[in-house]
Order: sequence, then structure tokens, then C-alpha cells
Amino acid sequence: MNEEMLRLENISKSFASNRVLDSISLEVEQGLCYAVVGENGAGKSTLMKIIGGIYRPDAGRILFEGQEVKFANPGEAIRAGISIVHQELSLASNLSVAQNIFCHREPTNTFGFIKWNQLYERAKKLFETMGVEIDPRVLCGRLSVGMQQIVEIAKALSLDSKVIIMDEPTSALSEKEVDHLYRIVATLKERKVAVIFISHKLTEVFRIAERIIVLRDGKLIGNLKTGETNRDEVISMMVGRHITDLFPPKSSGRGEDFFSVEGLTRQGKYEDVSFTLRRKEILGLAGLVGAGRTEAARAIFGADPKDAGTIILEGKRLEIRNPMDAIAEGLCYLTEDRKTLGLFLTMKMRFNIVAASLGKFIGRAGFYRFDKIKAQSLKYVDLMQIRPFDDEIKVVNLSGGNQQKALLAKWLCAAPKVLIVDEPTRGVDIGAKAKIHQDLRKLAEEGIGVIVISSELPEILGLCDRIVVFCEGRVSKILENEDLSQTEIMKFATK
Amino acid sequence: MDYSRVEKEGGFYPAVVKPVLRRIGIQNACLIALILIMFISLSITVPYFFSAGNIEVLFMGFIFEAIMALGMTLVIIAGGIDLSVSAVLPFSAIVVAYFFKANVPVPAAIALTFLIAAGIGLFNAWMSNTLRVHPFIATLATMLTVRGLALAISNGENVTSDFPKGFSFLGQGKVLGLPFPIFLFIVLAVVLGFLLKHHRFFQQVYFIGDNPKAAKMSGIKVEAFMSFVFILSAVLACTAGILTASRFENASNSYGINSELRVITAVVIGGTSIVKGGTGTIFGTVLGIIFMSIVYNAFVMAGINPYYETIVIGTILLGAVFMVEFFKEKELNLK
Repeated sequence: MNEEMLRLENISKSFASNRVLDSISLEVEQGLCYAVVGENGAGKSTLMKIIGGIYRPDAGRILFEGQEVKFANPGEAIRAGISIVHQELSLASNLSVAQNIFCHREPTNTFGFIKWNQLYERAKKLFETMGVEIDPRVLCGRLSVGMQQIVEIAKALSLDSKVIIMDEPTSALSEKEVDHLYRIVATLKERKVAVIFISHKLTEVFRIAERIIVLRDGKLIGNLKTGETNRDEVISMMVGRHITDLFPPKSSGRGEDFFSVEGLTRQGKYEDVSFTLRRKEILGLAGLVGAGRTEAARAIFGADPKDAGTIILEGKRLEIRNPMDAIAEGLCYLTEDRKTLGLFLTMKMRFNIVAASLGKFIGRAGFYRFDKIKAQSLKYVDLMQIRPFDDEIKVVNLSGGNQQKALLAKWLCAAPKVLIVDEPTRGVDIGAKAKIHQDLRKLAEEGIGVIVISSELPEILGLCDRIVVFCEGRVSKILENEDLSQTEIMKFATK
Repeated sequence: MDYSRVEKEGGFYPAVVKPVLRRIGIQNACLIALILIMFISLSITVPYFFSAGNIEVLFMGFIFEAIMALGMTLVIIAGGIDLSVSAVLPFSAIVVAYFFKANVPVPAAIALTFLIAAGIGLFNAWMSNTLRVHPFIATLATMLTVRGLALAISNGENVTSDFPKGFSFLGQGKVLGLPFPIFLFIVLAVVLGFLLKHHRFFQQVYFIGDNPKAAKMSGIKVEAFMSFVFILSAVLACTAGILTASRFENASNSYGINSELRVITAVVIGGTSIVKGGTGTIFGTVLGIIFMSIVYNAFVMAGINPYYETIVIGTILLGAVFMVEFFKEKELNLK
């Protein structure tokens, strides 16, 4: 029997008049892993922030190890033994791994000078207990995102945390790194740490969590034992309705080849990348993070230079030197990083939607035709089902799903012939995910070429008709997606 | 399993220089090379450039900026900027001169001036911490205000009389054969450089500069440390002001005009990033200072029309930045 670590009683929280959490009660036992799931805006992050001392609840009690606690700031929660590993990593990139772990708690002599050997030794021991091999002397900026996440977890462990909260820990990780993270979670459980994590990926939820906590509209809808439920039940609890098909049907027929990339090469990034795209199909680019998919896509779009390679669209060889050329030819690329490379966050929805096609809205004497802009943006807000139905809202205030829809709208507005979408549903809730998948299929049926880059294999398998597998910068295999399994793809994605 | 990014063998740099580059960093190595090239070519082409007399002149020509650059390095690593140093310098010179006029003893006059300068630093910190004014605006406002204050106090005139005997040592005396300002600078640079590298308190600056929110979450008192940094910068500017007054036995409003830009230039050439906090070293700043000192001196010694001076410095700054970017890319192949 596990001991109870944390108990929430009737926690409520409102921002202005908006009730974000409504009387939530739950218990957390040591040595178990809890997955918190729900659509964006369900209150998951707010609940975690209350546990971690970042927000204070309006009503309700938190008991930690049987004692009522009221954390005034995150520091107090950390000292009590509750750490949050945030989605946005917070390591100082120019300091070593060890320094980041023991940030401001470095072992020092009486005068405050850091004892370097002891510092590195401690970090090394910590990694040994976690079963990871990271050089504590390496600068954090040199680590991959996945490794940085592990450093963050090590930091939480070094603080003797009894409860570790992870906010979408796997959203930016490659498959290999995800496996590694699972193993670390298992070690944490053995050490009687309670792990709570927010996730949008149900596959991983079922794989590592003992309990699944479902939130919807600020209410606790379900607190389920993983063994006693199934995927469909969880999804219907999350959305409050049944989503029968997460993925739309496959292509209705096979069209002719109309877009091809031949011998695309960039020294040290990718080599001799060739593939063709047929009408009416969705082509998937699968592979591990860093296999060269995004880099190749960016080169096709003209965002990065390439050393060699030709791009042929509808029989015409394209000379693309920059994104402007690409957009003019009808090649569009939807970035994986919508916040920094995709959207103008503090601008209105309206201008985000027309941002890639401003040329179409210029009237006489070079002035913008705002009436046309408005009509067009409202059309897309409606078409994409962006909520709220408002094209004057600032994009920064929207949920991830709606932001992603806005980004898709921006590129549809540019009338693409070929649309490359990079991680189209990263950090997006299930409802919006299904909608985006359906839209992509619809585009393909309408004759627009759709290329999907995704690190989520279920997405690639569910959505694409053919799959180009990348491995270490080369195309290792092009597969017809007929009853393929994840293992078959992974076989070609790894050496 | 080791995910640390291991770069491919071979690459841009010959194997022999790699350990050296790894130790001192590519940017610093470039600067050292550039300094050596300039130094050697000037020694050959310009008469009397390489003479004990000129080397002293060379370093004294930039020494007040050098002292301020030490504080500025910390401010910029922490993600801030301090434009007010160029006003604190003449202000401190005038204030200390007025204390002497009022017959305050030398140590007390200096201590009081330091206290006032620290107050200015604290005011900068307060504006940036509490009022959340961007340090660029906050210290710009302070610069204008303090410069105005200095003009008002002195009525726009130089304060020359009543400098006590013994005060002149600070600007004109020698220790171990070195002019006192240079000696002081070396001591400050060594101490501050060591502390920044090895002391827990000073190490906070890198966490704060890289990500102030995360630093706060890790239990670092960000506001308190920023106050310390701004005070340090103001106190060092005050030191430069007092030394200037002592050197010329005169306190003038014309001191330090535009020096904030020269100071920032030296710091940036030394590899401290103004774009993103969290990078930079005192060693780099010292190299930046030596570089700037040579450039300024070269003009005087070569007898070039001083009108060309800023053109060349601007060009060199741009060149240095480009060079650093170029080599930084290559650095990936190094580790």
C-alpha cells in the first residue's frame, strides 16, 4: 500500500470572471504516475501551477504529507518537495550541466567559492542513480532538447522532490528520447516519487501512467485506473462526445506525379533527398528528430540554402532562392515552431491570416484594401472553425489549437499548390487535431499536394498514404502505407 | 546512452590549435591574434610606437573607460545596460572637487562621493526592478539628469582650485612602476574576473542573464542582484571620475562625453553579448579594452587626421563583429 503524498480538496480558481477550476479534489500517492489529460483550456496547467505554488487557489485546501500547505511562491513549493519541469525549458545555456542542476546551491567553501570537483562529482552520481550518461561539464546549450529535459528532471531530483510535475514532457522529444524518459519515470516511481504529467498523447499515457485524471472545462470528469479503462473512454470523457475517427479516410484514388524533389543535398545536414508527390495523396516524412526532415523542407521552401538539388513542380523546374520565390510558385511551408517562426503573436488574427498573401489585397495607388482583408480573414476564421469567431482578437490570447488553425489559414490564404506542414498538431488538443487532419485530407482531395512531417508515428500512419522515411540525413525507404506498423517505420528510421 | 552532441572529427581548425582554442574560446583567440597583428605592424611602421613611454600613454588613454567596462560587463551579462556611467564620471569628479572646496578631508570626501554614486546606481536599479522601466531608458534618463546636475552644481564651469596635496597620487602616482590607475585596473580586473568565474554569488549573473524568470524559480534573488550590479557599475564610474579629477587636478563637465559608447564597444568586442544576456567574461573585456586602446593610440602616433578616427573605429567594430560571427559558426566543429 502506497502512502498518500498530496491531497487536493475542492480547489477552485477563477481569472477575472472566468472559472478555470471548479472544485477539484484528488489524492496523489507516492510511487505512482498520474497523467492529466484534457483539451486545451480544460484547466490542466492551472491545476499544476496551483500545486507548484505559482498560483494560489481561490478556495479549497492542499494537504502535503498530511499537513495543510499554502505556498506563497514556487520557491516554497520546491523547498517542500514539489518541483515542476516546465514545457519551456529554463536552463542557462552558457553554464555547465552540473551548474544548472545545482543552480545557486553549488557546493562552496566558507568564502563562497565553488568547489568544482565536488560539483561535477555530485552531478555524476546523480546521473548514475538515474541511469543516464551525460557529461556534467558540457554546456547546457550543447544538449538536445530531450537531454535538457532530463537535466531538468535531475535538477528536480537533486532538490529531493517527492512530487515531480512535468508539463508535456515528450512534445519536443524524438522517439528514442521518449523511451529514455519513460525509463527515468520508472526509476522515479521506484524511488517513491509521485510523478504527475500533462500529456496530449494517449499512447504514452496508457504506457506509463497508473492513473488517468481527465479534466474538462475546469471540472474533474474522471479519475481512472489505467488498467480499467480504454482509449475511447478517455477520449470521450475529454471531449464530452464520441470522436469515432481521429483520422480521416485515406486517399480516394491515385493521381499523377506532379511535384518532385531530386538529389537535395546540404553538407552535414542531409544528402541526396529525392521523392515525388502525387495528386490526391498525403505524403509523410517520418524519422527521428534531427534526421534532416525539417532542414530539407526549409530548403525546399527557400528558407535555408542548399548545396544541390532540383525541385520540379508540374513539369517546371523551379529556381527558389528565398521564401518569397517559393510562395510565388505556390510552395508553402507551415513551420513546426508556430510561436517564433509562424505567427505574429501580438497582432490581430486578421493580419496573421493574410500575412503571407498581402500582395493580393493591394488596391489602387498601393494602399491596402482593408475591406477585402476583413472579408478574407472572416472567411477563414469560419472555415477553420477558429474560436472565438472573431478576427480582431490577438493571436497570443488563443489556445494552441486555435493558433495552429490560424497558421494553417495563413498558408491556405496564400493559395498553395504544395503545402508542407511540419508537426501540424504539436501541442494541440484532440478536437483541433481531428479538425486539422480532416482539413489536410480535404486539401489533398482538392488537388493540393500535402506533405506532412511528424514525429508522432500514429499521426504519420493514420494520415499519410505514402511515407518517406529519413535516417541520418538520407531517405532510407519510401513505403506505401498499407497496414504498416510503427515498428516497420522505426526499422528504417534507425540504423 | 550519451546524447551530448558529438561533432564530427576534422573540420575547420588544425588539430594543433584545438586545445588552445577550446581553452580560451575562439572569439578571444581571434582578438588576441588581431591585437598581436596590430601591435607588431604598428611597432614596425610607426616610430616610437613600441616604447615604454608610448605603451604607458596607450593604456592611460583608455584607462577610465577600462575601469567602467568592468562594471559594464556584469551589467550586460545580466541582460541590462548602463548608459549613465558617462554622466556619473564627471559628476563624481565635480562632487569630490566641491567636497575639497568645503575642506572635507580626502578619505571622507572620496567615501561620500562613492556613497552618492552608489545612490545613483541604486536609483537605476529601482527604476528597472520596481518600476520595470527598461534599463536602456532608465539609465538614459539618469545620464541626462546626472549630467544636468553636474552642470547645475558647477554652474557649467571647471572646478580647479583647492585640490589637496596627496590627492594627486591617485591619478598621477605610481605603484610598482605602474601608474596608479593602471595598477588599480589590473587589481580590479583580476579580482572581478576570478570572482565571476568561481564565486557562487557572482555566478548568479549568468543564470539571471540567460533567463531571469527561471533564475527566480531557482531561488535566486534577481532584484537584489541587479541592484548590486547597477551599484557596482556606478561605483566604478565614480572611481573613474575621481581618478580623472586627480589626474588633471581639475573637474570638468566635459569629461566622459560619449564614453558610455566606448565602454559598451569594448565590452561587446570582448565577446559579451548585448543581444542575449548570460554570455561574457572579464578576460574578454580586458582584450576588448587593449584592442580599443591600441586603435585610439595608433591614430595619435601615426598622426592621422583625427576626423577619420571614428570612421575607422566604426569600421573595425563592424569587422570584429563579423569576424566573431564567422568563427562562431566554425566553433561547432570544435567541441
